[in-house]
Amino acid sequence: MKRTVPLVLTFFVGMFMIGEFFIPHYQYRLITADFLEWGVVLAAAAFVLGLFNLLQVNLPKVIRRDPDWGYKLLMLVALVVTLVVGFAEGSARQEPGHVYKWIYDAMFVPLNATMFALLAFYIASAAFRAFRARNIDAAILLVAAVIVMLARVPVGESLPIVGDKLPQFMNWLMDVPNIAARRAIFIGAALGAVATGLRVILGIERSHLGGE
Amino acid sequence: MIGLLLLLWSAFAHAAPPTDVTVEAPRNNSGLDLVVKWTAASDEGSGTTGYTVLRSPTEAGPYEVTKAALPLGTTEIIDKVTTDARTNPPGAEYFYRVVALQEGAPLFIPGDGDQVAAESEAFAAALLSTQPTSPAVRGVPSASLVAISVGRMLLLAMIVTIGVLMTFFARQAQKGKEIFIRRIPGIDAIEEGIGRATEMGKPVLYVPGIDELQDIQTIASMLILGQVSKMVAEYQADLIVSCCIPIVREVADEVVKAGFFQAGHPDAYVPGNTRFISSEQFAFTAGTNGIISREKPATNLYLGRFFAESLILAETGYVNRSIQIAGTAEASQLPFFVAACDYTLIGEELYAVSAYLSKDPRLVSSLKASDYIKVFVAVMLILGTLEITLVGSHFIVDLFTIAEGG
Repeated sequence: MKRTVPLVLTFFVGMFMIGEFFIPHYQYRLITADFLEWGVVLAAAAFVLGLFNLLQVNLPKVIRRDPDWGYKLLMLVALVVTLVVGFAEGSARQEPGHVYKWIYDAMFVPLNATMFALLAFYIASAAFRAFRARNIDAAILLVAAVIVMLARVPVGESLPIVGDKLPQFMNWLMDVPNIAARRAIFIGAALGAVATGLRVILGIERSHLGGE
Repeated sequence: MIGLLLLLWSAFAHAAPPTDVTVEAPRNNSGLDLVVKWTAASDEGSGTTGYTVLRSPTEAGPYEVTKAALPLGTTEIIDKVTTDARTNPPGAEYFYRVVALQEGAPLFIPGDGDQVAAESEAFAAALLSTQPTSPAVRGVPSASLVAISVGRMLLLAMIVTIGVLMTFFARQAQKGKEIFIRRIPGIDAIEEGIGRATEMGKPVLYVPGIDELQDIQTIASMLILGQVSKMVAEYQADLIVSCCIPIVREVADEVVKAGFFQAGHPDAYVPGNTRFISSEQFAFTAGTNGIISREKPATNLYLGRFFAESLILAETGYVNRSIQIAGTAEASQLPFFVAACDYTLIGEELYAVSAYLSKDPRLVSSLKASDYIKVFVAVMLILGTLEITLVGSHFIVDLFTIAEGG
């Protein structure tokens, strides 16, 4: 019963949702919109469970003084302060002059930007490894990358002999081999997605339910 | 005010209105759209500066503005007769009038809230009395029960064919016929990675991407997690799942619990190891990087839908010297994973993992079925390219094109 009900529900709801693509009638789409809305409501309710999970995972570590418990304490303090301030300031919390807005602008946004900025350094280190010409594939990657990079900076165009040809060659690289490979990935992924969807809807795939 | 309107009327009395107005319901429609077409006013470019389309449920009005200040050259619009069909279902018929706006015609700037409808009606009334306007033309919304087009039917046929082939190959597999699936080193490496984690006494980290549960890549990731957790339990290693979306964590927790139970080690399941970190992309990244740096997992599995955080996670894992296996159908993130991970599952391989790991003939048969459709698509691509290049016609391309409303 614990597995049959989810299987039957998945089959009927899955088939109904596939039907949306073939049945344009607005009343049919009102029902599918309802299903999607239920999903949104469930996902929103899960945020409360997420909050409990954060406390369940981190609070015992702080109490036990586990290694690095200070980070977890900081996280819990930030969580509680933001939550309390958010509730206290109500719907006006995002207006200028409110503490919640200050927490967001002065703490969250810079921290977020800092994490994003790290990407530049990670790209450099990953590119350094990827572009080492250890085999023929890596060598092709290196040559293509050098051409694209040179063609996208002013110094590339000013190179003697090849300078004026570089942008054309870069465009060809981006528009022909690059797009061809991306489309191949898209087509394969789309068919894989259809097969996965059908496996779940038809009840062939049951690992998420606990298997046989 | 009346004097001003009369002045405007006298100025525009001889300007030409749009002609040949038609209103039709599009093919394969939801029943909420009407297509309004007209022929441009004869003085377009000299007197006429643009168009505004008015709509009313009755011929006599009152009319309201449905599309305001359309630029010169516009001769067709698609009008949605209601924006909320649940509280305001579409009517049986609608009447449309197209206004040719003259130089100096007032602009419609809708206000806020409840006043919009009243303002729209007042403005439409002003336009009708001062600007050249076409006669009212009736349109009847029409909802189609089934959208019929060659493209859609072909798609349906392909879905049904995959289903039929899946059943066929599953039966063959059940009869004992071996189904060949090519080796995928990245998937084989998952078991090696879990074995390595067991030997080193370190955990396995599983990241199911950062998208919502309804995304097919996240669904595929949950299916893989079922197999991975079973394998981890059999090896008696630890599994940490780091989630960005709370509902994904709830499902992942159930999946991991089921995996440990299936493997016969329900006692080894640790609830606190399936963790919700944060629903903010970079806060989640920072939290997961913290897990990689502090708990030092021996194997990191990044399987699902990733965005800008992909390289930050994978590079942190590289610095930590973890074995890293990534898989995503997000083409823009694949180069990052290829550069930073030991193995990368590209596109469709992500969807094959759970079937491949389970070795269940029914699941493996679905891979075979989608392979056959892939061959069909590849053949049609080649034929379509040859047709366009050599013959110059678009028959095959048109066959696979699903136009809006088609």
